[in-house]
Amino acid sequence: MKIKITLFALFFFFQISFAQEIQKDSISANELSEVTVTTATRTERVVSSLPFPVTIITSEAIIKSGVTRLNEILNEQTGIILIPDESGFEGIQMQGLDAAYTMILIDGVPLVGRTSGVLDLSRVSVGNIERIEIVKGASSALYGSEAMGGVINVITKKPTGDMFSGSLSYRYATFNTNDVNANVLWKKKKFGANLFTNFYSSDGYDLDKSTSLKNVEGYYNTTIQPKLYYDFSENLKLIVSNRFFNQKADNVAEIESEIYIGEAKENEWNSQIKLEHKWNSKVYSEYELYTTNYKNDSFLKDESNVLFEQAYYDQWLFRPEIRTTFSIKNDKLTTGVGLNYETLDRTYFDSNVNFNSQYVFVQYDYNPSGKLNILAGFRYDNHSEYASQFSPKLAVNYKFNNNFSLKSSIGYGYKAPDFRQLFFDFTNPSVGYTVLGYNVAEDRLNEFEEQDQLLSRVAGISFEKPLEAESSINFNFGGFYKKNKLKIDVNAFYNLIDNLIDTQAVAQKINGQNIFSYTNFDKIFTYGVEFNSTYSFTKEFVVSLGYQYLIAKDKSVLDNFGEHQYIRNSQLQTVEISKSDYFGLYNRSKHTANIKFAYTIPKIKTDINLRVFYRSKYGMFDTNNNNILDKYDKFVNDYFLTNLSISKYITDKLLLQSGANNLFDYKEPTQIPNLAGRQLFARIQYNF
Amino acid sequence: MKTNFLKLSLLALVIFTASCSSDDDKNTTPPVVVTTKVSDLPAPQTGGGQAGPASGEFTKFSFSENKIVTTDKWDIAFRGTVIIVNGGAKYNAADTGEPARTGSGSVSIVSGAFASVTAFPAASTFAQDAASAYAFPASGANAWYDYNGLTHVISAKAGKVFVVKTHDGKYAKFEILSYYKGAPANPDPSKTEDTRFYTFNFAYQANSTTTF
Repeated sequence: MKIKITLFALFFFFQISFAQEIQKDSISANELSEVTVTTATRTERVVSSLPFPVTIITSEAIIKSGVTRLNEILNEQTGIILIPDESGFEGIQMQGLDAAYTMILIDGVPLVGRTSGVLDLSRVSVGNIERIEIVKGASSALYGSEAMGGVINVITKKPTGDMFSGSLSYRYATFNTNDVNANVLWKKKKFGANLFTNFYSSDGYDLDKSTSLKNVEGYYNTTIQPKLYYDFSENLKLIVSNRFFNQKADNVAEIESEIYIGEAKENEWNSQIKLEHKWNSKVYSEYELYTTNYKNDSFLKDESNVLFEQAYYDQWLFRPEIRTTFSIKNDKLTTGVGLNYETLDRTYFDSNVNFNSQYVFVQYDYNPSGKLNILAGFRYDNHSEYASQFSPKLAVNYKFNNNFSLKSSIGYGYKAPDFRQLFFDFTNPSVGYTVLGYNVAEDRLNEFEEQDQLLSRVAGISFEKPLEAESSINFNFGGFYKKNKLKIDVNAFYNLIDNLIDTQAVAQKINGQNIFSYTNFDKIFTYGVEFNSTYSFTKEFVVSLGYQYLIAKDKSVLDNFGEHQYIRNSQLQTVEISKSDYFGLYNRSKHTANIKFAYTIPKIKTDINLRVFYRSKYGMFDTNNNNILDKYDKFVNDYFLTNLSISKYITDKLLLQSGANNLFDYKEPTQIPNLAGRQLFARIQYNF
Repeated sequence: MKTNFLKLSLLALVIFTASCSSDDDKNTTPPVVVTTKVSDLPAPQTGGGQAGPASGEFTKFSFSENKIVTTDKWDIAFRGTVIIVNGGAKYNAADTGEPARTGSGSVSIVSGAFASVTAFPAASTFAQDAASAYAFPASGANAWYDYNGLTHVISAKAGKVFVVKTHDGKYAKFEILSYYKGAPANPDPSKTEDTRFYTFNFAYQANSTTTF
């Protein structure tokens, strides 16, 4: 460890000593005002005039931060936080909504493979990202299911004009972490190509050396992303894009004091074929065919190498979609039609299951004057397994002048019941409880009854009506203000979520264990304010400050507070608590904030990037047995995290970088298992 | 002599009327019901769960005597997490460890802080044990405990007060505080030798009034 610190220190001094003469400022300024995004409206729009909250992360910001995976860069944004759920899977939380409610796209097409609803974002390397567009708030009007909390679109680099360029980089970090990137962009006349490869390996980390299990076991993965471009003409362009991801991880479990060792393999393949067709100056179409397959295989063997447990997961999605945009004077009408064919085969499913859905969406982008912009749209999804969904959205932006605009939006979002909630069939081998998906529950319960395994069925539970999709109504209201060196973005949001799907006991078996299934339950609401500001003291020194205030509560708790109002104090006496003592949902902090300093020293072509993050206290479990989180429960303490990275360009092409994530080594092994402690890193990158 | 007697009777009358305070509105205050704490009442059980049906003798308790009894004069009995009342019929006729019901006891479940439960609940809310049906629910909102699947701790539900009509028609209320020996604030469920020890508060109303 000491040797490593000295090495990194040496690296740093080595960079400083290469002081260059005053050269042309090769480090570009942070001008974001005219950046355009496509995710928000499926058409190209300038960010500052969009009628709902959109955040952009540029490739420059990603490089300067020194992180390597998608989850790491998202965790640094205001209003987005990476949290592990009860099963330990990490996902992002946006506007207080869980990871299952945010759609993740790569170049406009979705990633599949959610374990218990959570998508593992460390699957995506940041090595070839051009830009990440984050749209907050219900976006089902364009994207359908899963876009309840918002949409995150990772846009990869593509060649623009005749060029041959690329980059190679190698990064080494604590925990024996290696990250190797190679990205090549080539275009000559009609042909273009992009090849991105990434290799990443890590030993994982262990916060508690006394147990035989690590928090994260060792793993390695490879990403290969080849893309081909062919321009038939200026008006007809073809893009064929593929993504291959393979990961192998050590799999270790301790069950009843015995250690089991095995492997977990993940394989992902995406293929996107897109034709961009410009009919004329007023009509533009995109024809897209997307196929993706996600496979997960894992096994565990005991000490005598006998197979103990094996699990597999194999999901396919097939989606053709056609989008057309008509330009009518200053307005745009976008229409789209498509279908989803999805299959899943996994352990704990009786048979291979599939979903079939068709959808159509329409959006009108109305600009009656230079100041007013109104966006109205809807999407209609027709699904084979659950009720059809109609998702409308309306958004308005009023631009008072170049420096000030106000925006407001209201939209409907939904999340379809997933395969697991409908078809799961799992009995825990050691404890003996059973979990049944909603669509298979009735038949399986009857089977249990015939086999004399049922003790009783819970009264009042029926599986006749189909399980409803979780749905939400989302309001956003905010503004954008710019003056000289200051930029401020504020957004107040409110989400009312209905029909949340959760588990409940439906029967009792003769072994005393319960049978659980899923049902539409609660009504939860989240509201808050997100604030972002950037101040450029000088061209070399920019400070940005972000803050989010969040309240997330379960409405049924407030309506039935009588069921939760008694707790025991430390003397075991019953105490009555009041409604105002209800803190809210688990895993949500009332206050999160970040402050980022970016300091450039053009003379020595060095960038210093310091980010400090704050997360206020949050509760993980109910510790006083009233089934809710109240202010008398035990909370995880609030904490600060500091990330520092220093980059230096040796020549215009060679970049050296070193830094530390979690600089002050903040750890809470028992309460925050996904916080690994200080990670030092050093990277070298060659751009050509 | 006569005058003295007259004076004495007048004095007695005055004293008598003066000592009678005008408390027509107030009820006569019944004797204060005392809260007694029973600590570590053992309720062992053989078998149960994955090991087959539970067996073993129930531990019988009498509120009036404030102790474990072996006679038929018991009000409630404990075995493992199961509590039975001395009224109705046996839950499982074949279970030799389960005592036959010799009284007319029953139980009603009230939500609230222990001290705040003063009135007896309505007679229709009282239930007795029956074949395959416990008067003390084994699960659901009115069970006396919650089992936390993550920590494996059995915790007595706060705010659950059981009003028991005793085997001989009197009333008692009790609230379970802990299922673990020594009633620790943070029990260690892995110490199985410390489980099945009930600590509870109770109050017994020996008179025939309708409040505690």
